[in-house]
Amino acid sequence: MSASRLPDYHLAQGFDEAITGNCEVRAHYEAVFEELRRLAPEELAARERLRDALFRRLGITFAVYGDASGAERTWPMDVVPRILPAAEWRPVERGLEQRVRALNLFLEDLYVGERAALRDGVIPSWLVLSSEGFVREAVGIHAPHGARCVVAGIDLVRDADGVFRVLEDNLRTPSGISYVLQNRAALTRSFPGLSARHRIRPVHQYGSSLLQALQSLAPRASSSSPRVIVLTPGIWNSAYFEHAFLAQQMGAELCEGRDLVVEDQAVFMRTTRGLEKVDVIYRRVDDEYVDPALFRGDSVLGVPGLVSALRAGNVALANALGCGVADDKAIYPYVPALIRYYLGEDAILPNVTTYLLWEREQREAALKRLHELVVKPVAASGGYGIVIGPQAKPEQLDLCRKEIEANPRGYIAQELVQLSSHPTYVDGKLESRHIDLRPFVLTGAHTEVFPGGLTRVALRRGSFVVNSSQGGGSKDTWVLDDDGDP
Amino acid sequence: VLARHAEDLYWTGRYLERAEDTARMLDVTYHGLLEGGGRDPQAAWRALLEALHLAQPYFAQHRTVTPAAVAEFLVADESQPSSIIAAIARARDNGRNVREHLSTELWEALNTCHLELRGKDLRAELAFQPHELYRAIRTRCQTIAGAGSETMPRRDPWRFLVLGRLVERAEMTCRMLRARANGAAARTAFHDWLLVLNSVSALEAYTRSNGAEIDPGRVIAFLLLSDEFPRSVLSCLRGADTLLGQLDRDGPHARPRRGLGRVRSELEYHDADELRGHGIQPVLDRTQAGIWEVAELIEARYFAAGPAPQRHVFGAL
Repeated sequence: MSASRLPDYHLAQGFDEAITGNCEVRAHYEAVFEELRRLAPEELAARERLRDALFRRLGITFAVYGDASGAERTWPMDVVPRILPAAEWRPVERGLEQRVRALNLFLEDLYVGERAALRDGVIPSWLVLSSEGFVREAVGIHAPHGARCVVAGIDLVRDADGVFRVLEDNLRTPSGISYVLQNRAALTRSFPGLSARHRIRPVHQYGSSLLQALQSLAPRASSSSPRVIVLTPGIWNSAYFEHAFLAQQMGAELCEGRDLVVEDQAVFMRTTRGLEKVDVIYRRVDDEYVDPALFRGDSVLGVPGLVSALRAGNVALANALGCGVADDKAIYPYVPALIRYYLGEDAILPNVTTYLLWEREQREAALKRLHELVVKPVAASGGYGIVIGPQAKPEQLDLCRKEIEANPRGYIAQELVQLSSHPTYVDGKLESRHIDLRPFVLTGAHTEVFPGGLTRVALRRGSFVVNSSQGGGSKDTWVLDDDGDP
Repeated sequence: VLARHAEDLYWTGRYLERAEDTARMLDVTYHGLLEGGGRDPQAAWRALLEALHLAQPYFAQHRTVTPAAVAEFLVADESQPSSIIAAIARARDNGRNVREHLSTELWEALNTCHLELRGKDLRAELAFQPHELYRAIRTRCQTIAGAGSETMPRRDPWRFLVLGRLVERAEMTCRMLRARANGAAARTAFHDWLLVLNSVSALEAYTRSNGAEIDPGRVIAFLLLSDEFPRSVLSCLRGADTLLGQLDRDGPHARPRRGLGRVRSELEYHDADELRGHGIQPVLDRTQAGIWEVAELIEARYFAAGPAPQRHVFGAL
């Protein structure tokens, strides 16, 4: 069968997930585009309305920070799915598992080990200990199975050659998994014809996998079915929907700090039947708010005394305190070396080429090429504070240069990756839009990579910004059980 | 269940019942007047406001009683916490707080009800087809209750949700009886009591057990005491008693249950003569006071455990 083409589709620069450089539809996308080609514009519009109605009925909307009206937007999901054949996914899966295993070993080494990687010069001590994510109070607190980063979200991009690269690690309280599950549910309901001809690896088991990983952390003294709870900052948090969703999927209570109390170095929740002991806390509250007795006395989000209960081993916290040190962007360049050091293996997933601005030669080379590079503050996330050289004004670059010279530890510079693109409906027409991928990796007694992840889409033409807080969209992401021949 | 969540679930139940009962009362008041019977429209609408304990806030905004103004006040006025639109919004907000305790079907039904009401031009509908609007609200509330009843596991979250509904329903039925027993003029008694029965969908059930004669004493006895009819005060209290028994390991000694037992036994061992004529008013007063006390005991025992109890405001009691 000869490959088909998409009429009127303009390839963007870089790698297109669905279309070859000769403008032919890749084999594993044939069935989907065959279905889409048969679609009258009215039917597409009707199915898009059905999709929006599904999200609205489920209450899947998100608040936009800084929008004074407090209006909620419906979750934006494009109906064209992103498809990863089994053969493409396999190395990604192995690479993610390898990376998260090494990062957990590094955290364990740092907080309860002998700091071997620092001693052996794999990574500079001063860099690690000066990280904002390094939590001194967590030193000496044990984590069962060495599972410190229980839920990791690793952001991947695909470069111009189609190679998956790690853009950044999210090891603190990564969000987005609920949208993976809801996207799948919404697409199969509003567009059943699309998925009917594929064997797609399911995602709905996430809640049970997460619960299993969390229960494996329970203190040994606790009962055969340990009590897991979800700790949320509350209803005003932008990810509250996800916190509630995960609590429901796991059959766990969704607690706020005020629902919990520490007595005799153990954590209890206030129920209608009195205080009940808590064994494992899946927290979606940042480190500095977890225990107001230790960190921010002004915060009402946390639980006073929680750290003493952790230290006594009477409760487990996921993710553990202090995981942020390992997703500091200044630590990121050393992750391939950490993988080699702890596992004796080469990194399967490469990093994006990164310049260490605190090293004089690399800094000077980077400062000459700022207009071609991307500069990121090491401590920020969510796309905030990033300067993209080719799109920045000269004044912005000057300011950026001054900031780097004043605080070289505070920034990294990276080669600009030409993000891959994907056909996406914009006003009823297929256009090329840039995407990334956030897969999720669970660690309990062992490490497990969840198939696929959240594909985020930059909805403005040519934009590389995919964050939903900044107007990004999403796609259902299929990992095929086979290699894509329907 | 967390004390804070129990409170939200309980109030979700109360708000939903409040919205449904308000829609029922508006519907029968409006259509009862249209169907004739010589009643004074002013007095009927005023009686409705008084039954709901909302006369004071109403007259803070309006000088006269007009059907349109009362209906708008009770249905569409968002500044008024007991209005249907506000009660549904609060039920939904509370439901969202405890989303993980609600079955997806119950949550969808609740969210859909809220979105549908928001999407309507309520003032236009009140002017054009009030009955359709009231019916839609009632149907939506029943869909929510049905989705819950068919999909929620019989655990504490479910019990608090239903407990809220039963307490609110007992209270609303009692309020209605009090308002009517108070101002019943002999000339319009038949129609007045017909309306009361209709507003809780009890006419058919009443007729089946009492025949077609609308006798005030029998109507009151039926709505207070019937063990066949699920909206009678005694049925609600018995249901609440069963739930409290399951919710509390202290059994009958827990304070809310003792309070409830007192109201229940007064009704169960009533003096039949008291329910006729002038004796009824004190019985209704004591029953209503008893229900309020039970509600307070429930709050104190199950919800006050949280450090920052939420204030749920309802029209002045």
